[in-house]
Amino acid sequence: MLYRQAGIRHRRYAAERQLWPLTFDRVLVGGVVLFLLAAPFTLDRLYLGSYLLPWLLWSSAALGLNLLMGGAGQIHLGYGAVMAIGAYTSVHLVRSGIPFELALVLAGMTSAALGIVFGAAALRVKGLYLAMSTLAMQYIIDFTISHVPGISGGTQASLQVPRVTLLGMPVTGEVTPYYVALGLCAVITLFMLNVGRTSFGRALAAIREKDYAAEIIGVGTFKYKLLAFWVSSFIGGVVGAVLAVCYLRIVTPDQFHLDLSIQLVAMVIVGGLGSVLGSFFGAALILFAPIFFNNAIGTLATQFGLGISTDLRSHIPLMLYGALIILFLLVEPLGLAKIYDNVRKYFLVWPFRHVRK
Amino acid sequence: MQIDRRTLLAGGSALVLGQLPLPAFAQEKLIKFGAPQDFTKVYTFVTAEYSQGQRDYITLFNERGGINGFKVHLDVIDHGNDLPRAIEAFERYKREGYVLVDPLSTPMARGLVTRALEDKINMVTTLSGRSDAADGTVFPYVMPLSPNYWSQAALIIDFFLKQDKNLKGKKIVLVHIDTPFGREPIPIFQALSQRLGYEFQTFPYAPPGNDQSAIWPQVRRARPDWVIFWGAGVGQTVALSEAIRNGLPLDRLSSSVWLSESDMAVVGKDATKGVLKFEAAAGGREPKVIQDILKEVVAKGKGAGPEGKVGTSYYNIGVMMGAIQIEGLRKAFEKAPNGPYTGPWLNEGLRSIANFTAEGLLPPITTTKEDHQGGGRGRIVRWDGAKFVPQSDWGAAYQDVVWGEIRKYSEEFKKSGK
Repeated sequence: MLYRQAGIRHRRYAAERQLWPLTFDRVLVGGVVLFLLAAPFTLDRLYLGSYLLPWLLWSSAALGLNLLMGGAGQIHLGYGAVMAIGAYTSVHLVRSGIPFELALVLAGMTSAALGIVFGAAALRVKGLYLAMSTLAMQYIIDFTISHVPGISGGTQASLQVPRVTLLGMPVTGEVTPYYVALGLCAVITLFMLNVGRTSFGRALAAIREKDYAAEIIGVGTFKYKLLAFWVSSFIGGVVGAVLAVCYLRIVTPDQFHLDLSIQLVAMVIVGGLGSVLGSFFGAALILFAPIFFNNAIGTLATQFGLGISTDLRSHIPLMLYGALIILFLLVEPLGLAKIYDNVRKYFLVWPFRHVRK
Repeated sequence: MQIDRRTLLAGGSALVLGQLPLPAFAQEKLIKFGAPQDFTKVYTFVTAEYSQGQRDYITLFNERGGINGFKVHLDVIDHGNDLPRAIEAFERYKREGYVLVDPLSTPMARGLVTRALEDKINMVTTLSGRSDAADGTVFPYVMPLSPNYWSQAALIIDFFLKQDKNLKGKKIVLVHIDTPFGREPIPIFQALSQRLGYEFQTFPYAPPGNDQSAIWPQVRRARPDWVIFWGAGVGQTVALSEAIRNGLPLDRLSSSVWLSESDMAVVGKDATKGVLKFEAAAGGREPKVIQDILKEVVAKGKGAGPEGKVGTSYYNIGVMMGAIQIEGLRKAFEKAPNGPYTGPWLNEGLRSIANFTAEGLLPPITTTKEDHQGGGRGRIVRWDGAKFVPQSDWGAAYQDVVWGEIRKYSEEFKKSGK
């Protein structure tokens, strides 16, 4: 039905290779893009600043991690630390008077440079062992940040982000930071959508499936594993920098602890390994399900005079949240993106179910 | 999975049901306070007891008719010590016209400082947050309203001095959680060690502090005259057990304000006899305001939690903060009875509290536009196996040193935003 394939004939390879060959997909993407572009004018400030903005940022980070985990099959439990490096680098650079545009790039470079050092462990170890060595990265970076006063900002361990300008626009209020995040997210999304169609993406996929088999067919695992860490850490660093400037506005070590890394890994897995759409779904679920349940239970408790203790009231949302994640993974182990894919496939041939492969 | 009509329908209706409206308030004149606090992650029972006291006091105030026809609405929600959730709560409060936010968490308070200052919403940082926020000239909307960690450290040292008459040549060690919060009091201990001539040593343990077995034997080996342990949540009970295991004299062991009857019950009420701690609000049920709460709130079945918790340390701290916030509200109404009822309006009141003791629950608190700490008074109490017994009168110590540090760091914040 909706996803009408009839009448679409490709006359050029380029047309056949485009990202969204179906008209309905294009309309859908266009609609979402329009909504996101118009959000500052149509949406309440609360939803812009505390929902859409963090959602875009966390999705971007999840995309960066997804390149590594879904694309190259390398697990990373220290992605929060990668973002911390980016955030701290950019804030220190901006504070010392370097323009934000340059600080962004340098933040990405620093993250990439340090990320690749720890990523080098991937050359020797795999799976759980790699998880452990990236976990070590998380702890080493955490420790360094909070123990070097020059980085963390002294006894109070908090660094205020000065007001910055990007391409001449002051990044203040709620609207400009939102557009900065949107722009960054768009760039990363486009990159991720296309990376699978490049030789780089195919090399990563080969390594993900079996690294020595990849080596045999001529894909240098040494080079591409390091490259995967480099690119993914670069994205993480840039996202960390934008996160600090546009959303956090004051950076403290607690914001980049293991919690953040686990959150991101959860987003990638719940959303769907290797799926671009899944990163957005995963980020939305992991970020907002707790808030949403909390508000809903709070509303129920106050509106209908539900006589439950605060303890219970704050733990019910957690139980629901946990149950929801389990439910989603039971229903569809391949993640939220796969659930959408199922719905799409259902409509693709509706009402001729028998032709579905 | 197969998608059929039924699954689609179920999914759709679940989505619609989820869109419940946010709380709409009855047509009552309300002053709105927000309390996004951590009930589930790090502080758990600390928050539960604190929040119970705070809500009971506010219920007492509302039951007595409020002020000028206004009542106080306190919205309590869990932020799980997760900054995006705290920011969401803060922004929602901002939109709905809340005038005060009480996050009760040092990391959240630090993360919200910029927003509080920019949006002019009073952020209360009870016995937590940045110590230098006591400087009201630099942090007009950050309100500790309670002795900061530096005042606590100074008062603990003062107590040691009064016990030993002279600290020259003595050895004082600090066992602390290795986070910015745990390292915070160090400058005061160092500054005082120069003045009083004691030897100062630190022993950090890794957060969250559920394993400190490597640190305490070293503490014992150092043969300290006094030991101070500085942590929060689980780290406190572990520290106590390890101190007992290593045979350190418990009557020469002191904590900051974050130690309670619940911690003692975990380690063993008799095993912990003699341990000292700082106290900011009188414990127990004797203070008049606690009696009033028992009579007018709890007895009527309007209490916010189990009756057994009434009068415990953290409960009373909750009552103390509820009382101070309401006193600030009273002052705000005195200054401008007709509003507009905004953050800056309440700010005027919170910064002009004079000699407030909540009918004997607290040492007198006086806030000014310069001093958001309120004087930094407290006392040292000792655990006797059943309750904490005061060992000194209410007082403050070495406020010159404390304010030296406050000004040093607030100046730096003003200059460079650190």
